[in-house]
Amino acid sequence: MAWVATVPFFAYALLFLFLPAASVLIGAFQKDTSGYTLENVRALFHHPYIDAYWGSIKLSLITAALGGVAGLFIAYAALREGTPKWIRSTLTTFSGVAANFGGIPLAFAFIATLGPLGVLTVFLKNQLHFDLTAHGFSLFSMTGIALAYLYFQLPLMILVIAPAIDGLRKEWREASSNLGASQFQFWRYVGVPVLMPSILGAIILLFGNAFAAYATAYGINSGANLITIFIGSYYSGNVLNNPHLAQAMAFGMFMVLGLMMLFYIPLQRRAARWAK
Amino acid sequence: MEDHEAQEQEFWRKLEEGEMSRSQMLKRSVAAAAGLTVLGSTGAAFASRGFAGAAAPPLKGNSISLKELIAEAKKEGHLNTIALPPDWANYGEIMSTFQKKYGLAITNDNPDGSSAQENQAITSLKGDSRAPDVVDVGPSFAVAGAAAGLYGKYFPTTFSTIPRAMKDTRGLWYGDYWGAISIGYNQNLISNGPATWKDLLKPEYKGKVALNGSPLASNSAVSGVIAASLANGGSLADVGPGIDFFATMKKSGNFIPVQTTGATVASGQTPISIDWDYNNLAYVTEFPAARWKVNIPSDGVYGGYYAQAINSSAPHPWSARLWEEFIYSDQGQLLYLKGFAHPARFNDLANRKKIPSSLLSALPSPALYAKAKFASLGQQSAAKAKIATDWPAKVGA
Amino acid sequence: MAPSAVFWLLLGGLYFFIPLLTTLLFSLKSNQTGKCCTAANYSWVIHNGEFWHTLKISFLLALETIAISLALFVPTIYWVHLKVPKLRPVLASLALIPFVVPPIVMVVGLLKFYKGAPSWFYGQPWGFLAGAYVILAFPYMFFSLDAGFRSIDVHTLTEASQSLGAKWTTTLFKVILPNIRSAALAGSFLALAIVMGEYTIANLGAFHTFPIFIQYVNETQGFPAGALTLLSFGITWAAMASLLLVGRKRGARAAVITGAR
Repeated sequence: MAWVATVPFFAYALLFLFLPAASVLIGAFQKDTSGYTLENVRALFHHPYIDAYWGSIKLSLITAALGGVAGLFIAYAALREGTPKWIRSTLTTFSGVAANFGGIPLAFAFIATLGPLGVLTVFLKNQLHFDLTAHGFSLFSMTGIALAYLYFQLPLMILVIAPAIDGLRKEWREASSNLGASQFQFWRYVGVPVLMPSILGAIILLFGNAFAAYATAYGINSGANLITIFIGSYYSGNVLNNPHLAQAMAFGMFMVLGLMMLFYIPLQRRAARWAK
Repeated sequence: MEDHEAQEQEFWRKLEEGEMSRSQMLKRSVAAAAGLTVLGSTGAAFASRGFAGAAAPPLKGNSISLKELIAEAKKEGHLNTIALPPDWANYGEIMSTFQKKYGLAITNDNPDGSSAQENQAITSLKGDSRAPDVVDVGPSFAVAGAAAGLYGKYFPTTFSTIPRAMKDTRGLWYGDYWGAISIGYNQNLISNGPATWKDLLKPEYKGKVALNGSPLASNSAVSGVIAASLANGGSLADVGPGIDFFATMKKSGNFIPVQTTGATVASGQTPISIDWDYNNLAYVTEFPAARWKVNIPSDGVYGGYYAQAINSSAPHPWSARLWEEFIYSDQGQLLYLKGFAHPARFNDLANRKKIPSSLLSALPSPALYAKAKFASLGQQSAAKAKIATDWPAKVGA
Repeated sequence: MAPSAVFWLLLGGLYFFIPLLTTLLFSLKSNQTGKCCTAANYSWVIHNGEFWHTLKISFLLALETIAISLALFVPTIYWVHLKVPKLRPVLASLALIPFVVPPIVMVVGLLKFYKGAPSWFYGQPWGFLAGAYVILAFPYMFFSLDAGFRSIDVHTLTEASQSLGAKWTTTLFKVILPNIRSAALAGSFLALAIVMGEYTIANLGAFHTFPIFIQYVNETQGFPAGALTLLSFGITWAAMASLLLVGRKRGARAAVITGAR
């Protein structure tokens, strides 16, 4: 009976999440005329759609991992004792803004900084004689887009992991050093295991965030092989017009994330055991 | 959907191949006119049921006086437009002139919206007062919207002077303006400007050539690829050489996949932009810092048009019709020309000597425009399909 | 300060700062000459009526979203942690759905579903749009609050409070809430940023919010786009800082009252 108290939440989720999402998923199997078909979903396994899925998955994994690790270190650096309090509030508030700073403004900022004629590119070439392009860097490649993605992935990690880092009691560190443990041992046996469930949750969040991102990637490389860009082209573009295929692609995204969850749940359970 | 499109394509094909004799054409138009009259009255009957109390909006512009139309529109007091960027083909001035002339307020929603979104807005906002009254969409979307019953029939007074290839004979949509693909460039950063498609391959343009979006999502970009194809041994029916051209440019590093926007033009991040002539020409005065110059590449001139349509369930049907009358009046059409876009009724206006020479001299040479080729709907679909499969692998990331 | 902390903070600082600096340099250039330095672009933004109008709408929408989110999620997650831990993975999975269905496609489902709804809900941003934004904020809220609840001992706190005779509401407001304050604030920050940055749903629903204005300026204007980007960044940041101050004051009082750590 205890679950009754969660009814308002599930009712809200039903109205604003399930039913609209369901109509999209049903659309994936519909034909333009009437009736149902599997051909949209079947098409997903062929070029170029399968490449777009793979591109999105790779990009999301990379930015989730990089953003997760770097975000963890930056957050810890700001939140630990010894760091002035103003750094913490600056970082938290800034992260709140940056976590949703995306789309064309972010894309433009990166193009103007690291594009072929960007301020930093030109500076490095003229002043420091370091030609980024000659070294193989292109803002328009997956690497470049990942670099831009970090601008909202890092803050997201910082914000989500901060409460967990706060929960790492100062007393534990003191106790552990009193018992003769080194820094590394503290992290290995106490710190990381306690943080692990939150870290895993945060990385999944980062993966999902990158996976569904659209405007920033389109602003940098309008022809990038990412599934969200494809959905935009087929659903709300000026050229192609195949909403059911687009909905099928969304269905495919669902499946990909479902698979991620299958990895996540047993990992979570293991990690939670340590956290207890 | 396939039916109508097939009919249209069949008609054009027959026309092109000269198979239709004159008597056949006459028979067809008589039948069409008869059908229209019949449909017209049912349409009016439906309309009067739908708009309780208000008079039914007319089917033809010339069946009602302009004064009456304005009076009825004023009763509605408002017009909803969608996806009309103010700096695209001078829509900013067109909208403000309309508002001032007739005292009707315009709400322009989603200025950078796509044609797909315009059609979707008609469906998703149906019955809501925020639904768009009129749309301006690409030809394939006009055909799709007509087939899906999204549009209401209307024949603006000057309908007969709109070229046959640019309108739907049932009055569901009609071309409003067309342009040609051009190359614009920033004279501060480019001392030797590109005048042809071949020029764009020069190594001095490394990291400098951009399209207005991706050919999978932007009509301007698709048209740019088709134009490139015309210049590289392809044709309206074969867009392959165009795709290969961009693939070559990507490999050499000349092509950057950034979408051109006002900010990228002004800041010099996209020093060369392939786009409709009306967009590139507008940049010249909009961003003086960029010292923008525009050329129409002589080795491949490709033209494309957009089409007006009225929402079949428009919240302000009289205002919608008044808007169409305005767009297709001499004044409206010349405002497009002021925005560097060729109005649909260009030939008619030129024949009646209504075009001020100042407007003409602001455009590139008419000789170049005379070379412009327009793809049929069938050719456009084929090109889009090929781009959809080949572009991601050859030019994508 | 530990040297490793300095290194990471410096690295992060540089990475975040440089693109903003580039935007600043760009925003100070004049449209006529293309060179520094002019305040004309900022002046254009500040004197633009649409800027203030849409900013107000988005800000109010954000506050509404935060209020609804907290009211809905905090009790639910508390309850799940306390009494029904088996539901936690269910909630976690649900929290991923708003990510997976991209906004472009989701909004069509929403619009289709609510087409016949009364105009006070469907036609106004305070109804339809706020409802959608609460769902968008849900993943962030969930993982923040979840981490927060995990870091406190929910059972002990609740038992202690109840053994002292407190009702459920007192326990929730006076004991639990102050302890997850940082998590709730983090979630609220994200919700604010989401609303101030969400474009797709507002756009297709024909609402006129601040992100719509930003997108419009970025697509059509040149240098003012940079000015607007920085102004919107600054304004959102200021809003966050004020949220932090509000949270801190109340948190401090509550902490004193309940004698929390």
